[in-house]
Amino acid sequence: MSGVAARMRSIPTWEITLFLALVSLGFLIAAQVRSETPRVRYTSQERAPLIETALGLQAQQKSLQVQILDLRSRIASAEVATQGSGAIATQLNDALFQARLSAGLTALEGNGLVVQLEDAPQVSQAAGSADLLVTGRDVRTVVEELWLAGAEAVAVNDERVVSATSIIDIGGSLLVNSAYVAPPYQVKAVGPADMYAQLAGSASWVDFVASRAGQNGIRLAIAQPASLLVPAYAGSVTIRYAQPPASAAPSANP
Amino acid sequence: MHSRGSQVALAVVALVLGFLVVTQVRSQAGGTGLEDRSAQDLTLLVANLNTRNDQLRGEVADLGRQLDSIAAAQARGDTSAGQLRADLVRVRIWSGVDAAVGQGVRVVLRGPVTAVVLEDLVNELRNAGAEAIAVGGVRVVPATIAGGVPGSLSVEDTPLSDPVEVVAIGNGATMTGTLTRAGGLVAQEMATNQGLAIEVTPADRLQVPATARDLTPRVAKPRL
Repeated sequence: MSGVAARMRSIPTWEITLFLALVSLGFLIAAQVRSETPRVRYTSQERAPLIETALGLQAQQKSLQVQILDLRSRIASAEVATQGSGAIATQLNDALFQARLSAGLTALEGNGLVVQLEDAPQVSQAAGSADLLVTGRDVRTVVEELWLAGAEAVAVNDERVVSATSIIDIGGSLLVNSAYVAPPYQVKAVGPADMYAQLAGSASWVDFVASRAGQNGIRLAIAQPASLLVPAYAGSVTIRYAQPPASAAPSANP
Repeated sequence: MHSRGSQVALAVVALVLGFLVVTQVRSQAGGTGLEDRSAQDLTLLVANLNTRNDQLRGEVADLGRQLDSIAAAQARGDTSAGQLRADLVRVRIWSGVDAAVGQGVRVVLRGPVTAVVLEDLVNELRNAGAEAIAVGGVRVVPATIAGGVPGSLSVEDTPLSDPVEVVAIGNGATMTGTLTRAGGLVAQEMATNQGLAIEVTPADRLQVPATARDLTPRVAKPRL
């Protein structure tokens, strides 16, 4: 025993330091290799500028959305300011407020429910297995289930779901209102206090959870914040082809 | 002290170690979700983002004009009732509160039509720019959901007859092209649902009714 101890003492400290550093190096290389196994790995040279372009366009999109919300808010204030004492203008303003509320152009706050969806954790080891990925159809199913549970407003990663909303898959990405949304996908809803009870009691929701979370391993989490804000729709409300029927006269009634 | 070789070895190991620590920290910092996309997927994404940004720029310009018009009316001492009325008509049609007419497409589905097929079709029509949609004569709004099994489908508690007719107002040529292109929705649905037939016809004038739903929130409060 004393021989072993003496031998240990005879090892220079720099060798021990080097040994520990090499162990750390090995650990970090292994960690790095494991963390770089995404769904599929591509190495073509054109990807870097494309990612940069996409991120730039996304930033522009956010800025344009902020401008739209700001302009809508200023228009609403200006309309109220110009109404004066005119009864027709007052009626029209009230009707417009209601119409914007119904259309999803106003942010809503209330009892909340948030459903979060993420790819199955084993997706990195099983690239190409579509069942392990969250798809547009999964997100649409969650949105539908929340409507059925009584939701009054729904948003996916803060993109408000309105009459014109499409949720589509584009090569493994999700576009909501044509805006790119990155995982994890958070579907937020405001509505009545029993929304979660309604959701949990829905047979189609139970089937969805059993199939996608239970069998395929997609990660699904639910939160019930006491108060939640679902943002206003920040996209285009322009119509080019739809017109009111000839008999329909513009009305101030909501 | 130790040999010069051992010092160099330690320095090299420390350098590599530092590089790896930084790389690891950066990779754990959360990506954009775009790193694992192919060049083809990214190209498609960029094209979509460009289209969307053009629409948003158009909306910003429209809103700017609207604000200017209200300011001008204010300066003249007018009530800008005409502007308010036009805005009201547009928002009510867009949201589904009012009926609409215009060009578009009529889609007729025969055979084993499922709720999922209808949901996919409505989603694709919206993506192709539909401004108003009706399924079986029922206006589609955000919470409109088809349910039931083939043969006894319903929308908003309204039973759907066979064949099921879906009407969408918008650019008829664009919507027809999107639905019927090779590998598009019609081809996909007909390939995966045996016996299903989908017919898409552009039309110059279609009518879509107003929703019967009350879209006003009852419990959620507006945040202005």
